[in-house]
Amino acid sequence: MLSKRPTVDVWRWTVLVGLAICLVFVVWPLFELARQSFIGQSSQTFGFENYTTFFSSNYFMRAAYNSLWIASGTTAMTLLMGIPLAYMFSRFEFPGKPFLKILVLLSMMSPPFIGAYAWIMLMGRGGIITQWGLSWGIELHTIYGPTGIIIASTLSLYPIVFWIVGGAMRQLDQSVEEAAGLLGRKPIGVFLTVTLPLLRPAVITSAMLVFLAVLADFGLPNLLGEGERFQVLATLAYNLFLSEIGEEPGMAAVTSVVLVTMAGIVVGFGQWLNRANRVFNDGSQPIGLKKPSKATQLILAGTALGIVITANAPIMVVLASSFLEIRGAVFQPVLTLDNYTKAFAMMGNALTNSLVFAGIALVLATVFGAVFGYVLTRQKYLSSRCLDFLLMVPFIVPGTVLGIGFVQVFNTPPLLLTGTSTIIVIIYLVRRLPYVSRSSASIVHQIDMALEDASSSLGAKPLGTFRRIMLPLMQPGIFAGAVLAWLEIFNELSASIVLYTGATKTLPIAAYQQAMGGDFGVAAAYSGLLIAITSISIGLSMLFADIDPARPHVYKSA
Amino acid sequence: MAHSVSLNGLSKRFGSHVALNSVSLQIEPGELLTLLGPSGCGKTTLLRAIAGLYQPDAGSIHVNGHDITHRPPYQRDMGMVFQNFAVFPHLSVADNVAYGLKVRGYSDSNIQSRIDEALRKVKLDQLKQRFPSELSGGQKQRVGLARAMVIEPTMLLMDEPLSNLDAKLRIEMRQEIRLLQRELGITTLYVTHDQEEALAVSDRIAVMNSGDIVQLGTPEHIYSDPQHAFVMDFVGGCNWVKGTVDVTVSGICLQTHQNKGISIDGIVSTETARKHAGHEVLLGIRFDAIAFSNVPAANGWRDTTVLLRTYLGSHLQYTVRTQGGIELLFNAPSAIDAVDEGGIASVDFSPSGAYLFDAASGKRLV
Repeated sequence: MLSKRPTVDVWRWTVLVGLAICLVFVVWPLFELARQSFIGQSSQTFGFENYTTFFSSNYFMRAAYNSLWIASGTTAMTLLMGIPLAYMFSRFEFPGKPFLKILVLLSMMSPPFIGAYAWIMLMGRGGIITQWGLSWGIELHTIYGPTGIIIASTLSLYPIVFWIVGGAMRQLDQSVEEAAGLLGRKPIGVFLTVTLPLLRPAVITSAMLVFLAVLADFGLPNLLGEGERFQVLATLAYNLFLSEIGEEPGMAAVTSVVLVTMAGIVVGFGQWLNRANRVFNDGSQPIGLKKPSKATQLILAGTALGIVITANAPIMVVLASSFLEIRGAVFQPVLTLDNYTKAFAMMGNALTNSLVFAGIALVLATVFGAVFGYVLTRQKYLSSRCLDFLLMVPFIVPGTVLGIGFVQVFNTPPLLLTGTSTIIVIIYLVRRLPYVSRSSASIVHQIDMALEDASSSLGAKPLGTFRRIMLPLMQPGIFAGAVLAWLEIFNELSASIVLYTGATKTLPIAAYQQAMGGDFGVAAAYSGLLIAITSISIGLSMLFADIDPARPHVYKSA
Repeated sequence: MAHSVSLNGLSKRFGSHVALNSVSLQIEPGELLTLLGPSGCGKTTLLRAIAGLYQPDAGSIHVNGHDITHRPPYQRDMGMVFQNFAVFPHLSVADNVAYGLKVRGYSDSNIQSRIDEALRKVKLDQLKQRFPSELSGGQKQRVGLARAMVIEPTMLLMDEPLSNLDAKLRIEMRQEIRLLQRELGITTLYVTHDQEEALAVSDRIAVMNSGDIVQLGTPEHIYSDPQHAFVMDFVGGCNWVKGTVDVTVSGICLQTHQNKGISIDGIVSTETARKHAGHEVLLGIRFDAIAFSNVPAANGWRDTTVLLRTYLGSHLQYTVRTQGGIELLFNAPSAIDAVDEGGIASVDFSPSGAYLFDAASGKRLV
């Protein structure tokens, strides 16, 4: 179908640059990790010693089971929560929807460990609710452990299901459901035999993404699992690599390989389930919103509000408590700015670092992402297919793993980068570049190729056509991808925590360290700053465009 | 076997837009009745009200005398064929057709034989196991048709079923639909905005405009006896000449705004003409009714200028401008003595292809 276009050198070079970046900053670190996993921890010889250790030890296997358990549990819970909520939002009109959507976006974009930290403040050992229970002589369940991790993860990850399934619901063809009704199916039957099967790809995709996110998450399980007490693979890899007792890079590498393999299997399984994606549209009429009776509307709005507020409660708690006086480890009902004063005094360069590193990474990700998004869609070289695949790899690889790989590779010449700010910018870039490139590619798909043909027939050179025709038309896609990339980069923890030094500490790292065992008030203030900057970013970008995380299709690998 | 459907005073508003303005209609058993009209005229609203997809604000729908106005769609037994096909993308051709049969709890063998029969009828028996993504538009619509008729519905509802197909396929499909509908004898309501399609498939046509049925009748009746200016304009089309009625001793005349008297003897009775003397009227002249004339006639225009001549194979199409500035379009046989563009010639028209309408109400004057 694609007409064979004259090969244009400039695009070929672009692809080659992209390939070079991926080879150095994705393939090499991962390859090095894989290699190290085969170097015996004690024997220092090449072989399966580390793997034998891993698979025969309860200590390691438990972490693997734990990872699978919290990932499966969270996935199931997010589906149970996200699908009904998506149905409500895509089918019914009720008051307060835009406001609720912003809240959903906010709970999606705040770092999960802030939620975990809030839960500790509420239901940790010294938590407000726990203490209140004790004052009545009741010993309440604390939030620590697998159940707490699943609850906290669900509340921060359900928006993935909400956006993706909701987006698919809005695209369903109304007449297909009508046809089923006219053939005699009752509404519930229509939902089960037509609507749900048609949503299957979206449900599978979102389930896969939630599963991957839980597998990769480091901050939340480390806080709620209390380190060694309940370890998952991501925290295990980190602890093995940076243990105070003695570093075990070989075992850290094996853990990383197991984690990446697990993620790979999940992605493969998801793709396999979605292999026969028969959903298509025939100039369909999207489903309109039903306007139910006033009473029903109130019930719907109330239910939605209840769910969304619960999911945002942790963030609210953190925000509120950042303004409370703290004595010992207990917040007092006295308003104060002391936490912020203290936080700024202790912060050093963290805020500046965050803004500068994330800013540079964002600019690079946007430029590369826009160009790659275009090239990968329109120029079908073999090399561009390779690049397309390589760009998606960081999606599967947990940040901690890539971070460990970076340390292994870039702590010696020729590329001595460890400890520099460059290495943090680079890892931000390669991890979140796919957001912009996917988002740009999906919009390029929608742009008629005839426009480029028209431009070149009028005498514009390839770069001229790209700049004058494609860039302006791609702008909404680039912007949407860039906003998501910015939010993710700014709040990034799991890779940077492996790579930072005192001088390159970022705000999420500072917040995490304080939450992990520092000053609760300062932790709340740092988290408050993160939430504030995240909210302002979301608010500002909404002024310019309708931010719909489902639209960029960043997650759907080709 | 076939069912009769009657609509009594159906009304529906969407905000301030009146989609149906108290529409009543009797659909006879086994007939194919077409709702014809421009977009927004209410035809699809009427069809969807019968399907139960819209609840009318007022009025009732009866099938064989039973009131079904408040039944949900899934209890109406209506077979609907959609403009955008609405085949279930996740089901094979056979499973699409089986869907309604399974709901009705038929046995597997019964379902199989019915699917086979239905697919044979729409000529898809070779494609049973295909999925919709592997079908062309025409094939998808055949699936939609088989799926709708296999349940032996009370009524077949077809909502612009051919409008997403290309021109050649449209003609082919409309003939098949017509033959199939006759063979099965299912009472059918067909919605279209394409007048030629309506004339070709229908037993009767209801021409709709702004939520009203303007005229109901056989295709011949609609074309050759338009009761309303809108019907004449929408079905077949025509040239419009504005003027007032003038009754003189020599006959009945249309006094145009260009101060030209055109004889309209034989188009309107003397009695009606007297009654409407001095009223604003519209004269509609079919494209086939105008011709060049050597002798300037009383019902014609002398020395018109040929603006455009279009060659259309079987005939030529002319656009001429009269001295008074009226532009007329008409068809003429591709003769050797064709008038060139820029040429001057006189034209007249045959009264049998011209109709007079009251300008204010649009009603036909006879």
